[in-house]
Amino acid sequence: MRQLFFSLLFCFFSSFAAAADYHEQLNLRPLPQSALLASFNFRSNISVSDFDKGNFRFFPRSLGQILQHASTRELHLRFTLGRWDAESWGARPWNGAREGGTGVELWAWLEAASHQEADHKWLMLTNALSGLFCASLNFIDSTRTTRPVMSFRPEGDHPSLANTQLLHGTLPHEVVCTENLTPFLKLLPCKGKAGIASLLDGHKLFDASWQSMAIDMRPLCRRRNDCVLQIEQTIDMVLDIDRSKRPRHNPIPRPPPADQLPCDTSKPYHARDTCFPLDHTKNQDWALSQIFGRPMKGTCPLTDPQVSPVCIQIPHSRPVYASEGAREKKNPDRISRCFFPPDPSADFDLSLPAPADPSDPEILGPGTPLLYAERSFTGYGQERGGIQTILRNPSPHKEVEFIYMETLPWFMRIYLHTMEARVAGQPAPDKSLVREVYYRPAVDRARGTQLEVRMRVPPASTVLLTYDFEKSILRYTEYPPDANRGFDVPAAVITILDASQGGKEPSPRRPAAYTLRTTSLLCSLPTPDFSMPYNVIIFTSTAIALAFGGIFNMLVRRMVAADEGPEPGLKVLVGKLKKRLGALTGRR
Amino acid sequence: MAAVAKVSPGQAAGLYAAAAALRLAVFAFLPGLSDLLAARVEVSTPVTSFKRLQEGLFLYNHNVSPYDGGVYHQAPLLLPLFSLLPSFAALPLPTDLVYVVLDLLSARAIWRIADSGEAGSSALFTSPRRAKRWSGFVLAAFFLFNPFTLATCLGRSTSAFTTYAVLHAIANAVSGAPLGAMVALAFAGYLSLSPLLLLPPLVLLAYDRRRPAGPAPRSGPAFAAVCAAAVAGVLGALFLLSYLVTGSWEFLPSTYGVQLTLSDLSPNIGLWWYFFVEMFDSFRSFFLAVFWLHLSSYVAGLTLRIRRQPLVVLTLLLGIHGIFKPYPSIADTSLFLALVPLYRHVFPLMRYTFLSASVILYSAFLGPAFYYLWIYAGSGNANFFYAITLVWGLGQSLLVCDLMFAVLRDELEVERPEIVGKEIRQI
Repeated sequence: MRQLFFSLLFCFFSSFAAAADYHEQLNLRPLPQSALLASFNFRSNISVSDFDKGNFRFFPRSLGQILQHASTRELHLRFTLGRWDAESWGARPWNGAREGGTGVELWAWLEAASHQEADHKWLMLTNALSGLFCASLNFIDSTRTTRPVMSFRPEGDHPSLANTQLLHGTLPHEVVCTENLTPFLKLLPCKGKAGIASLLDGHKLFDASWQSMAIDMRPLCRRRNDCVLQIEQTIDMVLDIDRSKRPRHNPIPRPPPADQLPCDTSKPYHARDTCFPLDHTKNQDWALSQIFGRPMKGTCPLTDPQVSPVCIQIPHSRPVYASEGAREKKNPDRISRCFFPPDPSADFDLSLPAPADPSDPEILGPGTPLLYAERSFTGYGQERGGIQTILRNPSPHKEVEFIYMETLPWFMRIYLHTMEARVAGQPAPDKSLVREVYYRPAVDRARGTQLEVRMRVPPASTVLLTYDFEKSILRYTEYPPDANRGFDVPAAVITILDASQGGKEPSPRRPAAYTLRTTSLLCSLPTPDFSMPYNVIIFTSTAIALAFGGIFNMLVRRMVAADEGPEPGLKVLVGKLKKRLGALTGRR
Repeated sequence: MAAVAKVSPGQAAGLYAAAAALRLAVFAFLPGLSDLLAARVEVSTPVTSFKRLQEGLFLYNHNVSPYDGGVYHQAPLLLPLFSLLPSFAALPLPTDLVYVVLDLLSARAIWRIADSGEAGSSALFTSPRRAKRWSGFVLAAFFLFNPFTLATCLGRSTSAFTTYAVLHAIANAVSGAPLGAMVALAFAGYLSLSPLLLLPPLVLLAYDRRRPAGPAPRSGPAFAAVCAAAVAGVLGALFLLSYLVTGSWEFLPSTYGVQLTLSDLSPNIGLWWYFFVEMFDSFRSFFLAVFWLHLSSYVAGLTLRIRRQPLVVLTLLLGIHGIFKPYPSIADTSLFLALVPLYRHVFPLMRYTFLSASVILYSAFLGPAFYYLWIYAGSGNANFFYAITLVWGLGQSLLVCDLMFAVLRDELEVERPEIVGKEIRQI
C-alpha cells in the first residue's frame, strides 16, 4: 500500500515535471579525421490545456500560435547544409531522425477533413513559418508538396490520426544561413544569451562541414487526457577542428611556412625537403572557447538543474579539463561523461588535450550505419538521363528493409517502366528486391513526382536502383535567373524499418530504425535563348506568313498568260514617268 | 487510260517481303539503331513516342491511371491493344510485327489509291497529262523505302497508326466505300486530332467516287450530313469505349488538351514549340488560338478552289499539317511524300523541285547535327535547332506551294489549251 502511494506520488511529480519543464544539453563527440560532432538539444513541454488557453511559458508563443491557427498536430522542420560523410563519420546522430535533406524540409500532420482544407492549412502554415524563420518556405507550392504514404510516421502519441493529413515539402535550393539561426535562437527561453545556446554563432555554425537545425513539435501522452506538447530544437554540426580553430581576426587561410607544414610521414618519398601535406592535423587539442569562438556564458537559469548542460563522449582513459569548480560525472558506460558548471553566471570552458600517444587517438570508433546510400545521375546531355542509387548493406548477416522515397520536380519526367533493382555484380535485375511501389506521376506545372519504393538489400551486398527520366524544356519565364546552373533535385529519404519490432504487422507499419538522406542533385535542363523572344516571334510568323501568303495568293488570283491582262502596276508607273520626262525634254 | 505496266502478284509479294524483311532485320540485328531512332525528336514527339506509350502501358497494367500524369498523351485504346501483345521488354517480336504490318497495309492503301487513277482523272476533271504516271507498285515502293517511313517504323512511333488510318480512309473513299472512309477518318482523328480537318475534302472525294448503284443518298448535302454523322458517331463510340477502358474522362484533356494548349514543349521539327517557349505568358492563349485557326484556315480555301480534284486537296492538307500541326514528326512528312508521286503527270509544271528537294535534304541532314550541338555538345544553343526547323518548314511549304501551282496550271491548260508551254502570271 505504501509502495503504491509512493509510486503514485512519484508519478504525480514526474508528470508535473514533464508538464512544464525545459532542459538543454550539448553533446560533443570527437570523430575521426579531426572532426567534432556537436549536438545541441533544447526541449520544452507545455500541457495541452495550457496550450489551448494560450498560457505559454517555455513553449515559444510565436510558433504556438501558428500551430494553433493551422491546427497542426505534429510538425517537423529541418534546415540542413553539407553532407554527412558516413564512410568516415559512421552512423548519424539520433539515428538520422533529426536531420533533413539539403536546404529546408518540412512535414506536418494537419487536422483537416478534406484535401482542400489540408492544402489551405498547409499554405497558411508554410507562409507563416516562412515569415517566422526568414526562409522561402512560402515557395513550397503544390509542385513541391507530397503526401507520403509509407515513409513518415508520427513520433508523438495521437489518439487517432483518422482526421489528419500528412504533408511534406522540400526546398533543396534554399541556402541555410544566419538569418535562419537568429529566429531559431529566439524561440529558446534563454534566447542564446546564456547556456549552451550562447555558443551558437553563425560564423562557426555555417562554416561547419555538415550542420542540421531541427524543430520538432509533437504531443506526448502519458495517459488518456494527460498530454503535453513537446517542442524539441536540435542543432547538429560537424566541425572541422582545424578550420574552427582559425582565429577570428585572421580568418583567411594562408599557407603556413614550410617548417610548420604538417606532412604525411608515411609517404615513401617523405624527406627533409619533400612533403606531402596532410589535409588535416590529427589528434589536436581543442577547447570550447577555441572552436566556438567564445566560452559558454553560464547556464540558462530556466533549465532543469538535474540535466547536465555539457557532455562529451570519449573514453574515460582520456583526461578532459573543465573550468575550475565544475563537477564531472562519469557515466557508467565508460564512454561518456557530463559536466555541471559550478556557477550559473560564470563562463564555462572545456578543453581536451592532445592524446599522449598520437598513434592512438583514443576516441570512440564510428558506429556502422545500417545502410550506406549514394545517389547520382547517369547519362549525359540535356535531353534525358538516369538516376542511380547505390545502396550498400554493411551487415554480414542481416537483411535491411527500407522505404526509398523520391520527390522529383515535374520537369523531370520519369519512366517508371525502366526502374530496376539489381545486386551489384549480377547482370540481371532481381525482381524480389522491390517489394512494393507507390507512385504518383507528375503533372506538368501542377504536381511533382512522388515515388516510394519498399525494398530490401540482402546482407553484405550492394544494390543498384536505377531508372530513366527525360528533361523537359520550360517556358522561358519559368527559368530562374541563373538557368544554366541547373535545378536542384531534393534528397531521397530512406527510412529503414525496424526489423525487430512488429513482426506480425504488415511491414510498412513498422517504426523506423534509422533514417538517412542522400545528397541533393543538380539537374541541368535544356535552355532556350533568353535574349530573343521577339526574334523568334518574328521569324516564326514570317515563315507562317510565307506559306500562308504563297498558298492563298494562288487560291484567290487568276492565272493568265504572261502577255495578257492589264499591265502590272510598276510597268504602268514607269511608262507614265517616261512619258512625263519625254514631255519635259521635248518642251525644252 | 494509259498503259501502266501490269504488275504480277509475284512482284507485289516480293516488294512487301523485301520491305518486311528489311524492317525485321533491323529490329532483330540492329536493336541499337531502332532504339536510337525511337529516342530522336524527329521521330518521337510527346504524342507519338513509343517510350511514353510503354510508360503508359506500364501504369495501365499496374492500375495507375496513365492520364493522371504528364508523360502519356496518346489515345486510350492503344493501351488495351498493346497490353494484349506480349510484353515488349520480354518479347519484342509481336510489337515489331504490328509496326511492319501497319507499314505494309499503308503501302497497300497507297497502291489502291494509285491504281484508281483518281489523281489523273477525277469525276469533274481529267488531266490531259494523265498518261504519264507511276504504277501503284512504284508508289508503294516509294513509301516503303522512303527513309522517313523507315525511321518512323523502326522508331516504333505510334503515328504509324494515324498514317495507316488516313491512307485507309482515302483508299476507301477512292474505291467507293464512303462509310469505310468515314470510319477510318474517325479513327485517325481519334488517334491524333488534326486529321479531322480532312473531313470536307474526304467527303467530296467519297461523293465523287460513290458507286452509282450504291445505297448512299444522291444529293450532296444529304450525303455530307450522313458522312459527318458517321464520323461523329464513330468518334463518340470510340470516346465511350475509351471511357470504359480507363474509367474516367481524364484522357480528353490529357490527349487532346495537350495538342490544343501545347503544355508539353519538348523540341520537335515543328514551329510551335520554340514559339511557345519564347512567348510572353499574357499572349499565350491568343497565339494558340491563332495557330489553330491558321491550321484550319486552309481547309475551306483549298476545298473550294480545287473542288474538282479532292484528292489534291487531301494531299496538300496533309503537307500543310506536316508543317504546321502542334507536334509534327517526319511521319507526317513521309505521309505527304507518299502521296506526292501520285501527281507524276504535273511534275513538269513544277518550278522549284530542285530547290525544295535540296532544302528538305539540307535540313534533314543538318537538323540532327544542330540538335546534337545544342543538347549534347553544348557548343550551339537552341537557336541552331530552331533555325533548322524553320528551314525545314519553309522547304516543305515550298513543295506544297509548288505542287499546288502545278495542279492549278494543269487545270488552266484544260480550259485554255493554247496556253500550254507559255509563261503565265497571276493577276
